[in-house]
Amino acid sequence: MTTTYVWSAIVIYIILALFIAFLSRRGKQTTMDSYFLGNRKLNGFVSALSYSATTYSAFMLVGLAGLTYNGGVGALGFELIYLIGVSLVAFFGPRFWLAGKKYGYVTPSEMLGDRYQNKLVAVVVSLSSCLFLIPYSAVQLSGVGYLLQGVTNNAIPFTTGVVIATLLAIVYSYIAGIRSVAWTDALQALFMVITSTIVVLIIINRLGGFDGFFHTLETERSELLTVPGNGYFSFTTFLGLTIPWFFFSLSNPQVSQRLFMPASLKSLRTMLMGFLGFGLIYTLVSVIWGFTASLQFPDLSNADLATPTLLSSDLVPPVLGVIVMVGIMAAAISTIDSILLTLSSLFARDVYGNVKKNTSDQMQLRIGKLVIPVIAVLAFLFAQMELNLIAVLSVSSSAGLLVVVPAIIGTFFWSKGTAAGVLTSVIAGSFLVIMLEVSQTTPFGLASGIWGLLISSLLFLIVSLLTKAPKKKAHEFLGYIKNELRKKT
Amino acid sequence: MASSERKWALVILITVLLAYILPYTIFTNVSAWYGSFLLWTGLTIVIIGVNYFITKDWGK
Repeated sequence: MTTTYVWSAIVIYIILALFIAFLSRRGKQTTMDSYFLGNRKLNGFVSALSYSATTYSAFMLVGLAGLTYNGGVGALGFELIYLIGVSLVAFFGPRFWLAGKKYGYVTPSEMLGDRYQNKLVAVVVSLSSCLFLIPYSAVQLSGVGYLLQGVTNNAIPFTTGVVIATLLAIVYSYIAGIRSVAWTDALQALFMVITSTIVVLIIINRLGGFDGFFHTLETERSELLTVPGNGYFSFTTFLGLTIPWFFFSLSNPQVSQRLFMPASLKSLRTMLMGFLGFGLIYTLVSVIWGFTASLQFPDLSNADLATPTLLSSDLVPPVLGVIVMVGIMAAAISTIDSILLTLSSLFARDVYGNVKKNTSDQMQLRIGKLVIPVIAVLAFLFAQMELNLIAVLSVSSSAGLLVVVPAIIGTFFWSKGTAAGVLTSVIAGSFLVIMLEVSQTTPFGLASGIWGLLISSLLFLIVSLLTKAPKKKAHEFLGYIKNELRKKT
Repeated sequence: MASSERKWALVILITVLLAYILPYTIFTNVSAWYGSFLLWTGLTIVIIGVNYFITKDWGK
């Protein structure tokens, strides 16, 4: 892949994305609501694509393809169980949406703080999100660095790739807050899914169509079509991977915050259904991509090389290879910018807004905007340092964020939940996950996420039962949601 | 939780259990496209259908 090709494709992509970002500017974003939630007026189509781009990062065509390369069809099961888990949105989506509209919540942690009537809840939950998501963004940034370095044979150095990704993420979030993020996300989602689907169809065609492709797979690498197959996806490994991801749509604030944004329940529905369709296609494409690599290059030293190797091979026409590469880069950046924006809103609203007394909405917005580049630079520095702890925090992010799920379920379904229950479950749960990840231990063969969820659920239940629940708030909150749901669905 | 929600939640729960159990039992030796590959894809399509029905009346 020539460097000139790669640079031209990157430049064209940046110009197009910036154009869309500027087009998205409508009205003035002078409040927290408008800057971070688009005034709760996002249409269903943009919401669906943006939700897809935010969820699906460079992980799909690099990590999931690599997972398929290593372990076969279990990778498909893993990613589709995640997708099935997004059905949680069908239950929690309208509840988040109604509560957000009625009480003016900007962040999911603000909702928890208010529902459990304790500001510390909001502070702790948002800080724990930052703890796991900043390293996660750092790893996404490094992903772009390695990708550009890999496909150009070091002609574009690692740092250049990371700098480009960081700057673009800041710019996309800065131009018009969530509006520019959502619209550039939408463009990038379409770009990711269309280009990768075309390339996979071309590759399959060259390998003898679907019949020929699966026939070769069945005869040459039959172990890749079953689980545990070659042993990679043992049942406990599969469980450890899938459980944290099943709850991703609730545990990760950059996607759960999206439940506040659609203009109506109808838009929320379009968002959910659109995302499910998008997810199924993109997952199948990424897994078939990994299968292809395992047929064509069975002896790679590292599964992460599967995608770069396939992209620079004769199977993919060079122009398309460059386009897919830009698609992967777009997938990473569209995830990072959304995380960036969400974390800034968490910091401004829940940390600054609660720690400092009597802050105005405008002051919070100013702080939020100030924090965007700060978080980006932090992620950038982490990406450069390649510290072990950062890698550990990033890998454990899905498990670490999982510990807030019992509190979120309690928000809508359990009037006896208390702030003390939330605080102990989130703090002790996060601590446990980090300890297990750092020490690389898996008690009874079960991964950190499963333990985190178990212990945080137990702590939330027990401590809540031992402490006094905010009864008045709980009844008012749950009663309101129940009545409105009856009217609107 | 409304009773229709409970009904759908049960359908989803059963589908999820099947997605965990079947590939590791009856499909564990079926190394063909119509094994786990088709099963997981099929179950996801079922779930997309379930979501369609749960959300059918939203905003009406």
